[in-house]
Amino acid sequence: MDTLSRRRFLQLSGAAAVAAAAPMLTMEQIAQAAQMRPLPLGTPILIVVTLYGGNDGLNTVVPFTDPIYSQARPDVSYAPSDLLPLDNQLALNGSMTGIKSLWDQKKVAIVRGVGYPDPDLSHFTSMAIWQSASPVHQVNSGWLGRWLDTQPRDPMLAISLGSVLPPLLAGNAVAGSALPLGGIVVPTGTLALDCQRISAVSRQDSKLMATAATSLRNLFDLSSTITPILKQPAPQPLDLPTTNGGSAGGNSDLQQQLDVVAKLVAAGSPTKIWSVSLGGFDTHANEKGAQSILLGNVSVSIARFMSQMRATNREKDVVIMVYSEFGRRVKANASQGTDHGTSGPVFVIGDRIKGGFYGDQPSLANLIAGDLAVTTDFRDIYASLIEGILKSPADTVLSNWKSRTDFLLKA
Amino acid sequence: MNLERLEISRLFHRFGFGPKPGEFANALKQGVAATRNQLLTPPATDSGLATISPPVLTDLGNFPQNGTPARTAFDINMREQRQALTLWWLDRMALADHALAERMTWFWHGHWATSIGKVEYSLPMFNQNQTLRTFALGDFATQARTMILDGALQYWLDGGANTVAAPNENLAREFMELFTLGVDRYFETDVQAVAKGLTGYRVNRSNGNVSFIPKIHDSSTFNILGTTGTFNATQISDLVVARDDCTQFIADRIWFRFISSTIPRPDSNPIKNVFASRDLSKTVIAVATSDAMSDPQYSLVKSPVEWFIGLCRALRITPSQLPKPEQIVSYLDKLGQVPFVPPNVGGWPFGEAWLTAASAQYRLQVAQYLLAHGDISPIKSVTPSLRFSAVSDLLGIANWSLRSERAIRDISNDPTRVLLLAASSPEYIVSA
Repeated sequence: MDTLSRRRFLQLSGAAAVAAAAPMLTMEQIAQAAQMRPLPLGTPILIVVTLYGGNDGLNTVVPFTDPIYSQARPDVSYAPSDLLPLDNQLALNGSMTGIKSLWDQKKVAIVRGVGYPDPDLSHFTSMAIWQSASPVHQVNSGWLGRWLDTQPRDPMLAISLGSVLPPLLAGNAVAGSALPLGGIVVPTGTLALDCQRISAVSRQDSKLMATAATSLRNLFDLSSTITPILKQPAPQPLDLPTTNGGSAGGNSDLQQQLDVVAKLVAAGSPTKIWSVSLGGFDTHANEKGAQSILLGNVSVSIARFMSQMRATNREKDVVIMVYSEFGRRVKANASQGTDHGTSGPVFVIGDRIKGGFYGDQPSLANLIAGDLAVTTDFRDIYASLIEGILKSPADTVLSNWKSRTDFLLKA
Repeated sequence: MNLERLEISRLFHRFGFGPKPGEFANALKQGVAATRNQLLTPPATDSGLATISPPVLTDLGNFPQNGTPARTAFDINMREQRQALTLWWLDRMALADHALAERMTWFWHGHWATSIGKVEYSLPMFNQNQTLRTFALGDFATQARTMILDGALQYWLDGGANTVAAPNENLAREFMELFTLGVDRYFETDVQAVAKGLTGYRVNRSNGNVSFIPKIHDSSTFNILGTTGTFNATQISDLVVARDDCTQFIADRIWFRFISSTIPRPDSNPIKNVFASRDLSKTVIAVATSDAMSDPQYSLVKSPVEWFIGLCRALRITPSQLPKPEQIVSYLDKLGQVPFVPPNVGGWPFGEAWLTAASAQYRLQVAQYLLAHGDISPIKSVTPSLRFSAVSDLLGIANWSLRSERAIRDISNDPTRVLLLAASSPEYIVSA
């Protein structure tokens, strides 16, 4: 498979089923909730960034002084001068200046060699494993969905940008909500009147017919009180050029998603989990150019978002986690790309984070069947986030997983 | 509630894809028994299908190197074949005079849910679809024996990656969990043993041909579900399908998709006893004849494809003949259901999952699109005062609420609005 879109993954992974059941929110509904019951200041907010396709970790956090790196992938490696050194062994991809700046401010934890036992090289399986946090047994719930199961029911609690809900937000009993970027188009004129009439409450409806009627009625049943906040542009980044940067290569979809998140976080949406994503990381061929554009998008979007948060009073509350379903082969293939691999770095970013490296850097000399070893289980990170950010016990969500990664500042 | 009308409506919508113009009114005159007999007895030939030729699908071979002209041509071929395949099946559903066989094929497609998203090639998906059609109303043991060696299913569940050295348990597990027995009706050791028995099969991905290579097959002796011996795929299928758990599981699956996705099957329903024979034709007749069919509590949400095809049949639409047929796939995608692309090996969602505000919005769009291209004469040609009852019979609606009846009667001067509203009504989206 050469291209893996997020949508395609979601279709294949069962998320379409979940998404259909997920509440669809409108901006107005969120705005109203933000106005009526804003998230208390100081409540931590988790933003999960999923990179679909298998991001090449070795060209993201680059072991640039290890000679094996350039030997294994002569055409798919970077010269030290093209990189942003983090210490004397590792450097960030040259396109990630925004994240490098956050690193310099000690706000970035880079967890190295993250994966799970017996890595699976299928996109679908591996992403399902990351999102369900269940490497051995296939389960249909996501790790954050199971956290939602433990919370009072609230469709605002976890929101995914885009019309299809990713499996990570699907619980056994409840699911997160989806916020289509384009929004829902509400019929107007006589059609609107007709639809409202045929979807009015009727005592003659069976339960399922009543649900069908409700779904149609919900199209119209929107709050008419659109808050001024949502009519405004997203919060202005404080320390980035005001010329709505990123015209080189166009606005990335990720930036659009994070702009909406920024707007709604600023408005006080009672949302503790946001899910956004970027696809296209399945770089089997001609990797360097494609990946650096994508990583540049990730970096610019996140730096912009953090800067937007500084313009609000939520700056200290947001924590961003960035992951992908696997890293890639150490050795390049014959088409200037890399094939599916195993472990990769996970980024955790925010004011609540103790910046630095966590987990051991997998050795390039001691590979396992050509692939990097897994040195940190992703559940260590999840458990730390559930406890430290969502302030909940991780046991029920992660089947009593015991190990943690200590990247959070003590409160 | 008119129970006779309810039962006839359910026969049309659940054991077919809804009535063609005139059929529902005729059925009401004939009564339930005659209608059931007619709808459940497939004819020798189906004149509705006579005009449909199978899609032209060639074996496209391996993927050419990225970035070459050969690859571009290949990609175009793949896309065109996929569209031809999808439209061919939609056409069959929409045009069949006797829709039971297509309806059962649709059910089995959701049961052995295989996605072209991973398989990519259309030819093996077509072959699988023909297999499902052949055995849709036949002997389930034969169906299962054929499907376990189906090329698309084997590839979908990594059959080709299953070797003696490193057995891949994907197909083994799903075969028992999702296709024949149900979850927790076997042990992990059975999964491992079945995986061993399923080694040795290799799939030619582009055409779906499955070959058996004895030297990579695990021919050692092991135990599956209490039986010790050496096993190949066919023997495994027969062993598993013969179990009583299979009787219960398949009876439950049929109940779930044809009678109720929310209320469990009562033991009193004859479906399980009849399925003990593994005869699917008899099983379907038994369930369609059972008391459940006239019990108002068993309503069922139509899936998007069922709703869409129902409208095509009522409006005499041949999907592939629409001005931009690729638009249809896009619409079905928005509604969340494209044939050959089930979301996962567990098959399609059900029930309230199809009833979101977003899907309500898309249903309106699709209905408007179909009305712009369909034959609305059965409504247009009658005087406004008769249009309400005309649209009820055209769409085969069981019973209306007063709410919907009033809404439709009030706009009966406009036949298109009448149809749009009826097609979007709770009474049509749900099979009462």
